[in-house]
Amino acid sequence: MKKFLAVLLSALCLATLLAGCNKKETTENTSVQAVSSEEEKFVFKHGFDLDYPPYSYINDDGEVGGFDVELCQAVCEYYGWEYQAVPFNWDAKDAELNAGNCDCIWSGFTRNGREDDYTWSISYSDNTQMIMVADDSDIKTLADLTGKVVGVQTATSAYELLQDEEGQKKLCDTFASLEVFDTYTVAFSSLKAGGIDAIAIDVTSGNFLMSETPGYHFLEETLGSEQYAIGFRKGDTELCEKINAALKALVEDGTYAEIGAKYPEIEPFLCLKPEE
Amino acid sequence: MTFSTMLRTMSSGMLRTLLLFILTLAGSIPLGMIVVFLKKSKIRPISWLTKIYIAIMRGTPLMLQLLVWYFGPYYVLGMKITSGYKFIALLIGFIMNYAAYFAEIYRSGIESMPVGQYEAAEILGYSRIRTFFKIILPQVVKRILPAVTNEVITLVKDTSLASALAYQEVFSLAKQISASQTSFLPFVVAGVFYFVANYVVAIVMGRIEKSMQYYK
Repeated sequence: MKKFLAVLLSALCLATLLAGCNKKETTENTSVQAVSSEEEKFVFKHGFDLDYPPYSYINDDGEVGGFDVELCQAVCEYYGWEYQAVPFNWDAKDAELNAGNCDCIWSGFTRNGREDDYTWSISYSDNTQMIMVADDSDIKTLADLTGKVVGVQTATSAYELLQDEEGQKKLCDTFASLEVFDTYTVAFSSLKAGGIDAIAIDVTSGNFLMSETPGYHFLEETLGSEQYAIGFRKGDTELCEKINAALKALVEDGTYAEIGAKYPEIEPFLCLKPEE
Repeated sequence: MTFSTMLRTMSSGMLRTLLLFILTLAGSIPLGMIVVFLKKSKIRPISWLTKIYIAIMRGTPLMLQLLVWYFGPYYVLGMKITSGYKFIALLIGFIMNYAAYFAEIYRSGIESMPVGQYEAAEILGYSRIRTFFKIILPQVVKRILPAVTNEVITLVKDTSLASALAYQEVFSLAKQISASQTSFLPFVVAGVFYFVANYVVAIVMGRIEKSMQYYK
């Protein structure tokens, strides 16, 4: 009986394996056909960080959402493209883009300081880098940060600004230490718990975190400002121009403002306006 | 960033990795022994509690455990933590987790000893404690060494989970440098660092194993 079961089980495994192979073959075939029978439906692969609210995140319905996701979906709808979400680890964004797993990096992506690394779309949002502290904190100005522990998310523009000699490196050197977290969510928990004294963050992400938890505010002095745009593989100007055209059209027909209205943290920073 | 700056930065991260590694080993190897005694305890509640502890340590991701040790005092007890607590939380998390694994390895060794040896020791008039330390333990150590080596090598690589608490060990530095320099090179460097560290571990453990083969 046991032997029989074993044979049955292994046969099952083998069958599923084979079925898996078959399936792959057929999908490959169809994709080849799709291309050959004159570009039926272009699949636009939107690369983004799933942990970057309110630009891209898992929304309350448990689905991929956020301003950038909705705007990208609107662009795809405009051209009749198929939208494909490619969530990636923020650290791996360049590898994903260069390997062709996604067509663009569109995830609250700062263009400043990276001008030469990508082919950039027009900027669709402004942003400011700020310092966030608890309301009862004794930190009132940037100078008060001397000897304090400051948190930041890895590979964000706030982090790069603090590491940049021409940016805020001097300020950063006055900190007791700069704690580099994988996500702002954990950094914020750490701020709440008392593990760090302040967070360097862009104003929209910061507002999103503070909207859920009262008792925190930004310092009046800012660290710097930046523009958000969509980064394409260097030289991919054709796709970039198409997206630019779509963005302009969406600004004209009001879709851009409509999506922005759903995100009060972002709305004040939207920089594209319909032409008179 | 020049290659030498990258190497220098990453070496400092490797030192932090090794510090965490050595302190974790120093804590978890003895603690595992205590855990195995507690698990084999004749007092039922103690052995049950130990079983639950091992089940939780092995059944949940280490990264989650680290977050719980770090944020637990605040979210559960409402205590404010300090920035210095981070390293302590990391040590507690790693030591508690690895002690559970080591305890199971020790148990496998202890339980593989034939009953005849205990009986013979009893006839020779050895006390239970003396039997364990003079006769059983030396043989157990010999038998479990390959399994311990495995676990130690895993620990070297697991230290990268400390990045969850923003500990600047070598792998999180590799990720940060890679992102800011748009280069894959830091990952290769990190890979070489880990490989060299584990190669040393394997050599040291091999030497110890050899020195234990006193009957051959």
